[in-house]
Amino acid sequence: MSKPSDLVQGTLDLLLLKILALEPMNGFAISQRLKQVSGDVLQVSDGSLYPALHKLENEGWITAEWKTTENNRRAKFYSLTRPGRKQMEKEANNWGRLSAAISQVVRLQEV
Amino acid sequence: MRSGRWMHATKMRVRALFYRAAVDCELEDELAYHVAMKTEENVARGMSRDEARRAALIDSGGIELAKENCRETRGVNWIHDVGRDVRYGLRQLRRSPGLAAAIIVTLMLGIAATTSIFTIVYATLLHALPYPEADRVVRIHDVRLQGSSTGGLVSVPRFFDLTARSKSFASVGFFCFEDTTLITGARLPVAVRGACANAGFWKVFEVNPLLGRTFNEKDDQPNVPMVAVLSYGAWQRIFNGDPDVIGRQVTIEQQSTAIIGVMPKDFDVPAGIDLWRPAQFASGSWTWRGEGSRFINVVARLAPSVSLASAESDMRRIGEELRHEYADTDGTWQFEVIGIRDALYGELRPAILVLFTASGFVLLVACINVANLLLARAAVREREVALRRALGASERRIRLQFLTEGALLATSGGIAGLGLTFLLVRTMAAKLPGRLGSNGIVQMNWPIVGFAFGLAVACGIVFGLAPAIRNRDAALNIGLKQGGMQPSGEAVGWGRNIFVSIQVALSLVLLVGATLLGESLWKLVKSPLGFVPERVLTFRLVLPWGARPDVARNFYADVQQRLEALPGVIAVGQTSALPTEDWHLRATFDADWLPQTDHHDAVNAEIRSISGDFLGALATPLLSGRQLTAGDGISKPQRVMVNRTFAQQYLPGGSIIGRHLADATGPLEIVGVISDVRGTGGSIAGKVGPEVYFSTDGIHPVTRRSFVVRSQVPPEQLIQSVREQVHQVDPQQAVADVAMMDELLDKAVAQPRFNTALIVVFAVLTLLLACVGIYGVAAWVVAKRFREIGVRMALGATRGQILLLFLSRALKASIVGIIAGIAAAFPLTYFLRSQLYGVTAGNPWVYAVSIPVLLLPVLIATLRPALQAASINPVEALRTE
Repeated sequence: MSKPSDLVQGTLDLLLLKILALEPMNGFAISQRLKQVSGDVLQVSDGSLYPALHKLENEGWITAEWKTTENNRRAKFYSLTRPGRKQMEKEANNWGRLSAAISQVVRLQEV
Repeated sequence: MRSGRWMHATKMRVRALFYRAAVDCELEDELAYHVAMKTEENVARGMSRDEARRAALIDSGGIELAKENCRETRGVNWIHDVGRDVRYGLRQLRRSPGLAAAIIVTLMLGIAATTSIFTIVYATLLHALPYPEADRVVRIHDVRLQGSSTGGLVSVPRFFDLTARSKSFASVGFFCFEDTTLITGARLPVAVRGACANAGFWKVFEVNPLLGRTFNEKDDQPNVPMVAVLSYGAWQRIFNGDPDVIGRQVTIEQQSTAIIGVMPKDFDVPAGIDLWRPAQFASGSWTWRGEGSRFINVVARLAPSVSLASAESDMRRIGEELRHEYADTDGTWQFEVIGIRDALYGELRPAILVLFTASGFVLLVACINVANLLLARAAVREREVALRRALGASERRIRLQFLTEGALLATSGGIAGLGLTFLLVRTMAAKLPGRLGSNGIVQMNWPIVGFAFGLAVACGIVFGLAPAIRNRDAALNIGLKQGGMQPSGEAVGWGRNIFVSIQVALSLVLLVGATLLGESLWKLVKSPLGFVPERVLTFRLVLPWGARPDVARNFYADVQQRLEALPGVIAVGQTSALPTEDWHLRATFDADWLPQTDHHDAVNAEIRSISGDFLGALATPLLSGRQLTAGDGISKPQRVMVNRTFAQQYLPGGSIIGRHLADATGPLEIVGVISDVRGTGGSIAGKVGPEVYFSTDGIHPVTRRSFVVRSQVPPEQLIQSVREQVHQVDPQQAVADVAMMDELLDKAVAQPRFNTALIVVFAVLTLLLACVGIYGVAAWVVAKRFREIGVRMALGATRGQILLLFLSRALKASIVGIIAGIAAAFPLTYFLRSQLYGVTAGNPWVYAVSIPVLLLPVLIATLRPALQAASINPVEALRTE
């Protein structure tokens, strides 16, 4: 299992933005969803998750709101802003190009 | 869109900055929710509530660190950090108030010393003069190629010549002084100090009047109605600032004059003037060019795009031309062009720079002391720093904290220093010698504050960085251990020794300077004056220019008689100019015992006129012959006296009584020789030159005379009677410039005395601070090597040997400092030479005096810690860790 700490910081941002693009959710739910969608491959430690979320919020890509959950707890819900959506698309494109390039190199046949 | 994002980001920052508690609370809640959810998960998996919570916390991987990192992302952390550091720094200082007080006081002295002198530097060398483009205004001096000149004064024909021929100046003006009487309405006549100027004078300075107008070419013609422009001071003093003063008719020099303007407060050319009047000189009517014709001061404004150098060569050319055209009168004269700031302050500049350098030394020594104190404290705080590092503080945070503490100390020291400077300026500025003491020249203003602030900032940076750099390399574990083992080699780094040497060297240089100046001042004051200044009253009476000769003679004789009759008066004399007065008049004569040549004047001397019992009033000895009496001015031949330097220079070893000089009016018989009087021409430091004394009551009586009254009673008591007597002789006459002779003399030595006093203060201060520093370092060394001393004693060293050991170690640096100081003092005191009188800078005797004076306190400072070291109980020392 690749540890999330091996991910470049920018990649974590992309993951968070993408998850929030689907629907607004709080930090705990984000980490759950990430685990779920990647089949337990990607697990982000809280020490990295929350600072990354806060950085995104300070930069203005996402915005936050305190709401009450189903089990009557108060939690901070993040949602994507419009500039955040644009940023996410840009980063997704970058990632696509990067991963394609890496794949090209990896697929090279050893002689 | 980008602006929307930026606004959002700014909103977040502001919120993080000012609503920190709320934002932190949110963070807590957010992470608490996360942990709670994780706990629920674990409980659902079957753990007990406590186990679930514990597992959740472990899983979360460092909540506190997460919180820290979240806080970091806010981008305003550094502000909070600085705030926290400041509060922490203040707590530290409060915990050791003695140290804080010592640092702040030391810094205060250093910064106050430098800033105070900077106020003078600023006022004279940097501050903009109150007229536009002041660096294009110049003074033009008439200077003799070889020999004595007349203080830069120019003659009127030469002024008209240079105005006509020069190409370098946009405007040329002149002024000359006249002491005159002003009568307004029915009030008593007021003695005023006036200046005659031409219309071009105003164009040179280009300063607009406060009220009314200045005079122009039309006013400057002969025989037009007379006008006057008032200075701000005169307008306040005499007319009470009356705004309707423009157009008022007053009487000046017995001539009806209209006031046409008032100048603004800071226009002060020439200094101390009450009013300006047009000179009304017509270029055709001034033809006399010989000696004694020079009495005007010439100023000019450079034409645009003309440099000072090209103006100088232009004037050299004109001087050359005039030397050829008027060989017998102008043959030995040339023009000199000097920027006006140089003309005003050029003589002061070396002294001011010396004082500024000396104050810089004081600051340097003070800073070294503070640095030593901080370094010692940094050594004590090694544990704290190591602990911080172990807890994860970054280098940046630690450096920032030290920087903040350094900044706190420097700021306090800077504010205290600025306050002290303010106090000094308020109380002492008016007492400064000469022009500096005039109102408003030296004062506090924003550039001065900026300078002090800059000094404080520089100090703060140095103090902040030094301990941080020092502690950077301290290994963590050594620092954390209780009383970390120090290597017992040279515990005092070479840095400390260099500090001590620097302090000692600087102290020595200042001491040498102070000794030189002190000796010079002593010689100046104690050198024989040629007269006795105590209990002498002086004042001036000036008659109008066109007064008739017999009227003038009678007036002065009348006053003389009445004053002699006053009770308590011993002698009364009259003179054209008092000693220490800045007044120049020279003439050339032929002598009947010297060969006459065509192009070489036999005798060149300064001229004074005297009458009454001048010698008795000044108590100047008569060396041979007799004093001038009443008839000697109009006798045939006219009779004169000479001074001793004249006799020795022109007839050494011979008897000059009965010999004759000759000038344009005819032969002059020498009837007496008087002792040399210092101060002719202003400065009492100057060498006395040959002087010839005429009678004031010649065919053209002198109309501007100073009276010298020697009395048995304190002269102040006579002032009222003098005024009454003069009033009875002529009610239209005002008594001007009443002053005691010893006050005038005091003013004449005020400048050297001020310099010396200040350097002595600085030298003492520096020596004191240096000794404090040396004591501190020596004591610290002893404290550090407590154990080593115990070991040495246990191994058999006697107390005496310990004493000598520490003394020699401590003195080594001081000796190096003394040698460096001597080496530095030689070239530096070279710059003092313009301030010295009767003393040479390289005089070894000065060093023979200064070095012991320096060594004694230094020895005492090192002795005490050494004695403490010698009296240590070896058992205690070995037991101590």
